[in-house]
Amino acid sequence: MKVPKKIWIPICAVVLSAFVPLLTKSEYFINLLIMLFIYIVISQSWNLQGGFNGQISLGHSAFFGMGALTTRLLWMSKIPILLAIIGGGLSAILLAGMVGIPCLRMRRGYFPIGTLGLAIIAQIAVGNILPVPGSLPSEYLAGYSLPSRYYLALAVAILSVLVVYWVIRSRAGWAFVAIRDDEEAAEAVGIKTFRFKVKALLISSFLAGLGGGVFAYHQVSYYYQSPFELSWSFLPTLTTFIGGLGTVLGPILGSICYLALNELFAFTLGEIHLVIFGFTFIMIVLFFPGGLMSVPARFQSSSATRKT
Amino acid sequence: MWQTLVFGILNGALYGMIALGIALVFGIMKYLNVAHGSLIIVGAYGSLFLFRLGVDPFATIPVILVALFLGGAILFFAFFNRLIQFPEETKIKNSLLIGFGLMLVLDNLATFLWTGDERSITPSYSGVTFQALGLRFPLIGLSGGFLALLLISVLHLFLSRTYFGKAVRAVSQDHEAASLTGINVSRTFLISFAISVGLAAIPSVLIGLQSFSPTAGIQWFNKGIIVVMLSGIGNIYGVFPAGLFLGIIEALSVFLFGATYREVTGLVVFVLILILFPKGVSGSRADS
Repeated sequence: MKVPKKIWIPICAVVLSAFVPLLTKSEYFINLLIMLFIYIVISQSWNLQGGFNGQISLGHSAFFGMGALTTRLLWMSKIPILLAIIGGGLSAILLAGMVGIPCLRMRRGYFPIGTLGLAIIAQIAVGNILPVPGSLPSEYLAGYSLPSRYYLALAVAILSVLVVYWVIRSRAGWAFVAIRDDEEAAEAVGIKTFRFKVKALLISSFLAGLGGGVFAYHQVSYYYQSPFELSWSFLPTLTTFIGGLGTVLGPILGSICYLALNELFAFTLGEIHLVIFGFTFIMIVLFFPGGLMSVPARFQSSSATRKT
Repeated sequence: MWQTLVFGILNGALYGMIALGIALVFGIMKYLNVAHGSLIIVGAYGSLFLFRLGVDPFATIPVILVALFLGGAILFFAFFNRLIQFPEETKIKNSLLIGFGLMLVLDNLATFLWTGDERSITPSYSGVTFQALGLRFPLIGLSGGFLALLLISVLHLFLSRTYFGKAVRAVSQDHEAASLTGINVSRTFLISFAISVGLAAIPSVLIGLQSFSPTAGIQWFNKGIIVVMLSGIGNIYGVFPAGLFLGIIEALSVFLFGATYREVTGLVVFVLILILFPKGVSGSRADS
């Protein structure tokens, strides 16, 4: 793999964020960054499938929730958290394999509808089976330290970015993009389209499951169904479109933007800030399909637009 | 048992009406308006507002209908208009995304204007039931069923007897060919979309008479889309029977597994249909 130019920017960002817990004692700020990392993980995961492979999924809340549920239950039964989170990712793959693959077999264009159904089924089922909030037992609470959550979240966020970066530069990545751009043409040049769509789905669901695992590790107490809520499907859609569909940097930018605006406006404007988000989202879909990432390109000459 | 079935059928009529609006745009234009449920909820708030001014809920239907019709036309001009020339897959995807944005806007606007509390329209006759054959028939449910029959017959006459209806069916079969024969596709789309949103008025009032909150839209949209899938895309006449079918299935599942899994049953049926009939149950007829 070729080392890209400007490699120092992400390295600086990572090193800088690694020092954050040493520099600040503000729990509010650290919690905010952990949320940001979770947003980045799920947005990257969504973008791999929605942005690079063109399969808009509304089922990511199911994968995210599945990861959270499994991680929490494994962790509670005394399994080390790292293994528990990997277990969460694997369980998300399992769910994707069982119900996501049939969704891919549907008629072209119906994948979003099928996965939406899947997400709702998962939410209602979990809400019925485990209606109680899952709180940490006291011995876990005694050992609760925010920095360890922080570093785990950071690590998973970096992992997700690296995985997506690596995947889209591999052969499979070219296949994903080819399928997105023209499925019939991709088929015609010999790409096994269904196999690659499954691959994108499985990798994507694994990352979403890891994100769910971080969520389960970070939250002290939450209803088991809350990571299954549909907003976890809509969030990565929103952030990825804001940042830039089908770019590695887009979901990160989108997540930062979304979180920052949310924090700024949630208290001052209340529900109205979501109205503005919704409206912005429509405008982006209609007029700015490239999102934030396409903004510099609009000012530069067209030769500079190919970077992702 | 029979009593649950009665409620199931009456619920099914409501599902059928919701689905009719969705099926009209989805079948003809390949637009998936995810915000249809939210528009229904907005209509319900409108009806509640008028009811508090002293208007009978059923008398508010024409007002809401006209308001939603105009609202639909504006939405089409503002957003959905731009998707006409895309191929089917892109149309579904982009209209879904726009609908989702719209849902975000409408739901939160409703929360802002009317708070997140659960509301319902409660006229003096809201609990009235009839006894017949040893079964209870709620007055509101019955009038809902009656309105549903009325609606479906008017729509049927409209689509089968008028020039515009013929244009709609032509566009739904092949919009390029339709355009070649001189049909104004863009205007047909506009009016169909507005009608589809206007059709939400009756479910608006009926849901208003049950109970609703700003975020309930997506649940009703779900019911609608399940019914649309059951009936087969592009097959508008199958929508209403499919709605009744879903209502009956749900009623049976309540009877067998308890009320908590009512929502799940419909969705399981839905996913099964999508998997077992990936090309649509009967939709391919009108599509290809």
